[in-house]
Amino acid sequence: MNALRDDRGTAAITTIALLPLLLVVLAGVLQLGALRVAVTRVRAAADLAALVAVNDQDDTELARSGALHLSGDAAAVAREYLARELELSASLLAGSADEIARAADIAAFVAAPAFDERTGARYERPTVRIAAEVPLRTPVFGALVFRPVTTVNVLAVSSPR
Amino acid sequence: MMRRAVAAALAASVLLAMPSPAGAWDPFDSDEDGWQQPPAAPPPPDPAPLIAPPPGVYYVTDTYVADVVTSEGPLTTYTTTTVHESTGSYARVLETVGTGDTSAFDSEAFNGRRTLGDGRAVAGTYYENYVLGDAGFLPVSIVFFQDDAELARAIWGPPVPPGTSPGGGEPGSSGSSAEPSTSCCPALPLEPGGTLIEPRDDRAGPPGGRTTPPDRRAPAAPIPVRPGVSLLPASPPVGSVEVLRGRPVTLWLRAFAGDREVPVRSWTLLSGESGRALATAGTGAAPFRAAWERLAPPDRAYVLRFRIEVDTRATGHAFVDMTIAVTVRSPALES
Repeated sequence: MNALRDDRGTAAITTIALLPLLLVVLAGVLQLGALRVAVTRVRAAADLAALVAVNDQDDTELARSGALHLSGDAAAVAREYLARELELSASLLAGSADEIARAADIAAFVAAPAFDERTGARYERPTVRIAAEVPLRTPVFGALVFRPVTTVNVLAVSSPR
Repeated sequence: MMRRAVAAALAASVLLAMPSPAGAWDPFDSDEDGWQQPPAAPPPPDPAPLIAPPPGVYYVTDTYVADVVTSEGPLTTYTTTTVHESTGSYARVLETVGTGDTSAFDSEAFNGRRTLGDGRAVAGTYYENYVLGDAGFLPVSIVFFQDDAELARAIWGPPVPPGTSPGGGEPGSSGSSAEPSTSCCPALPLEPGGTLIEPRDDRAGPPGGRTTPPDRRAPAAPIPVRPGVSLLPASPPVGSVEVLRGRPVTLWLRAFAGDREVPVRSWTLLSGESGRALATAGTGAAPFRAAWERLAPPDRAYVLRFRIEVDTRATGHAFVDMTIAVTVRSPALES
């Protein structure tokens, strides 16, 4: 009973009682931070793939018209590089990089202006657009009655400006 | 004493029991004395098996550069320029075609096949290029080396009445004929009201000895030169060009007189942001090569101003200025 009347004892009991909750909150915060890092890496992968694909220009069409024109395989290049870049973050993914890249919606708008039905955007220049759903591993969320896999929607659009 | 004798006997027995001939070899001594030459070291194996080219395939030492069409007066020549360098590729002759002949490779050559003024395809030779890979000689492309010439239609003025020319020669004394006498251009049609001009040729006229009065027409005024810039030696000229930042671009400075291309003797970059240009002046056979690392201000373009020099019979010696707008772009992310 003395412990209950003592301030130090009260603090100790309070700490012991709230420690699980504090640990849960701490784990959630850490998982949330890790998820944000993973999302950033995945978005960077998509951005880089789009940029690389825009560099794939049709030199023959450029010689004919003098205007930049995406190569016919720009979408394939974007998909290939998306898989390569995601492979670097394979430990964060809840699926294989190849499968994620294969399932991604990648469109190359070879000539401009163009209208993107998926995003509703209008592109004034040849554009590569990558829209992908990337499943990320979130084991702490899974332990906390959330889903162990968090799917992130990534959108990357690139054009020469 | 006994121990010394035993040791000496033991040493002698060892020497006698294990004799071995000296391995020395006298290179100046013959083999007849019983000595054998030391075995020669086996030659090192070839690093890669030598694959002989198939019959007709040869190593390329002169590489295709561009198709060239030059006009000197009424004569237009179709040739191909090469550079003496070896790229490690091989080639073989596919077919040699004459003027107007069709070929199965007409649509296969990456540089295409031009046509003469009357629509017939130029003469030349088709070559197939090969590279040597692990699987042997792999065909990579087909190139057409044009080699032809034609006579132009009338680019001189109307005929001058006989007797008024400075030479005042007799009819037929020039040896020229009303029909072209070069082997490349049989019977070019005459334009309505036009005159076919033939090159000065001392060869005999057509069968039957028909001759025409000597050419007493005065040269017309030089044809104005129309400049152009293209990204390939034979691609259509462009007025502006978009380039990616840092990517090398080749600009071919060309000139046209009427509907013919005329050779450019030299060119000079007068003004404009040249970026990382290899040269700011050169001959007509050398293009302007540059890469731009900096973007132009928003909604602006680099305007390059060139001066080209042309000196042909049709155009005379002329300098022509031209400009081209270069828009440097860089891949960027859209928000």
